[in-house]
Amino acid sequence: MSFLEVRDLHLDVGGFELTGMGLNAEKGDYVALTGPSGSGKSLLLETVIGFYAPKKGSIFLEGRDITALPPDKRQISIVYQDHMLFPHMDVFENIAYALRKKLRDKKQIESEVQQIAGILGIDGLLHRKPTTLSGGEKQRAALARSLVVRPKLLLLDEPFSALDMRNRENMREVLKKAIREYRTTVLQVTHDFDDIWSLANRVVIIRQGEVMQEGDPESVFRQPSPDFVADFLGTNVLKGKVRALEGKLTVLEILDRKRDSNLEQDESKDRNLNQSQKQTQSQSFEIYSADPAEPGEEVSISIRPEEIILARGAVESSARNTLKGIVTGISKKEHLVLVEMEIGNSGSEDSSSGNTGQGNSETGISELKAVVTPTSCELLDLGIGKEIYAVFKAANARIIR
Amino acid sequence: MQSVRKFWTKESCTGKPREKNCIRDSCTNNSYVRNSCVRNSWFRNATIGISCFFTFLLFLAVGTLLFVLKPSELFSALMSEEMLYSMELSVLTASISTFSVMCCSIPTAYALSRFSFPGKSLVKTILGLPMAFPELVLGLALLLLFGQGFLGPFLETFGIRVPFSKLGIVVAQFFIAFPYAVRVIYSTFEDINPRYEQVSRSFGYGEFETFRNVTLPMARSGLFASAVITFARCIGAFGAVLILAGGSYMHTEVLPVTLYLNISYGNLEMAITSGVLLMLIAFLAILSFERFEGGRL
Repeated sequence: MSFLEVRDLHLDVGGFELTGMGLNAEKGDYVALTGPSGSGKSLLLETVIGFYAPKKGSIFLEGRDITALPPDKRQISIVYQDHMLFPHMDVFENIAYALRKKLRDKKQIESEVQQIAGILGIDGLLHRKPTTLSGGEKQRAALARSLVVRPKLLLLDEPFSALDMRNRENMREVLKKAIREYRTTVLQVTHDFDDIWSLANRVVIIRQGEVMQEGDPESVFRQPSPDFVADFLGTNVLKGKVRALEGKLTVLEILDRKRDSNLEQDESKDRNLNQSQKQTQSQSFEIYSADPAEPGEEVSISIRPEEIILARGAVESSARNTLKGIVTGISKKEHLVLVEMEIGNSGSEDSSSGNTGQGNSETGISELKAVVTPTSCELLDLGIGKEIYAVFKAANARIIR
Repeated sequence: MQSVRKFWTKESCTGKPREKNCIRDSCTNNSYVRNSCVRNSWFRNATIGISCFFTFLLFLAVGTLLFVLKPSELFSALMSEEMLYSMELSVLTASISTFSVMCCSIPTAYALSRFSFPGKSLVKTILGLPMAFPELVLGLALLLLFGQGFLGPFLETFGIRVPFSKLGIVVAQFFIAFPYAVRVIYSTFEDINPRYEQVSRSFGYGEFETFRNVTLPMARSGLFASAVITFARCIGAFGAVLILAGGSYMHTEVLPVTLYLNISYGNLEMAITSGVLLMLIAFLAILSFERFEGGRL
């Protein structure tokens, strides 16, 4: 039995419902729950912690059925998006309050509080009231309060979504450090792909109270189920190798991802290995990223669809990356249009030698998704099979490890 | 400000007569919106005018009450035996009533705000009734309940007499103020995100501990405001008190009863003095209510 096991959970709380939700997590796992809003992610967390009693189904923690236990007996902590620090206590009191049920000794409480405050970098704020803190500081204090009791399971309900970009990255680092230190199993609800990439080792995609897909982040984003793509825009993930550093920019060579995955499925791996490596080399293209990396390092690059600008010709602009591709799909999504394209080598010097042998009809070596407004879709006269240029800044090509 | 802008933009864009002249872009333009706020509209002027006029009338009425008596007359009426008795009894009964109202309305409001139980909406409706109910009718109903109903004789066997006694004053005040207190405290609890309580529960604190450590301290400004309003309601309660406790001279005589008795004898000085006292209490109550209700911690 897994460390945390949620079985066939049914619950209906006016508007949100879970219908047969099942979930497993091993000790030390960092599970990211994601999916469109209203899909029941937060409801799942609040059922696991015991604020809602399920209509049907059961929850096991460390092999023990906790479905009927009140929240105060479960040893599970939660951090909400809006921190929920008690406004009538200062930061120290907030953290110490969490400990008081566990520890009686004042000195011990104080040293525990100091320890977690040191890890999360809030030791200077202990005697401030929550209202005087910035968003990032509040969230750190809330995290400290939840971690200090060393919970069996830590639940995070979109903990960073109220923070700005810089704070978010900062928080991720701090969180990583803290959960390593406290060896906590984490279940996090998030809409942020960066959270998933940098923190989680498992992703669970939820839609309308049901698990749609689950697995490690890479495989889930590589082969998202069609429904998932339609409902919930994914980010572009390309695999690459750092070739060189040019000033502050990192030059990445994007590898042929189709060849890679075909290879994995191929039974006669060894025979094709050499051939495929050659092809990869000849079919690569370059992407500039502003994130630092070591030359020779193998990394993934994430580019958000909304950060890609589409152009009909190769434009000269301040954006470092211009990739030529062919439109392979156009789909409307509420007030936006999702454009899918295949990116190939722009000069296609190897166009004759590429894609032989495998019977692969596509010309490109990587897929890219971009989001545009219907108006620009019309202006660009987009259509399947047409040539298009994808333009994006080096700062928007993020390196994921 | 946001909502005001939205209102004006919407108003000027969707209003039929203006639609023709309204270019799409200029509607979302801020300067256009601001201009339409500044422009004199009859509706704006009318609403402001009405609000100022009646505030002025009210101010005038209160001012008259305050300044119609000479300070010496006011002082002698204030120091009369009857007034002192009435003041003392008012403060005593209102304090007891306020305390009991708070003791009962805090759990009631919490239950209504946090739990769902069968008949909850019925409880809410019945609790709201006395607010729209004429006080006299409430007094009559209480008199029947504690007088001839089964409750009266039952209490009498323990030597407790409610009608025409000082206890009757407290009972009447309690029923007058209770619904108001519940309403204020209810909205205070509603404003507190239950997630605060849930977080406290997750640290191992039980329901009552969480209520004591988290909910109550967070609600304290609302609780204080509600206590003030309750006290003012209790001091000012008249109809129900008169019917249930009877308005007997120097026995069940509280400030509103003093006003009533003296005005029927034609003793204006005493009547006005008790009026001034009642008004001062109300004024102080509203002042502190405004100060504390919804106040940040």
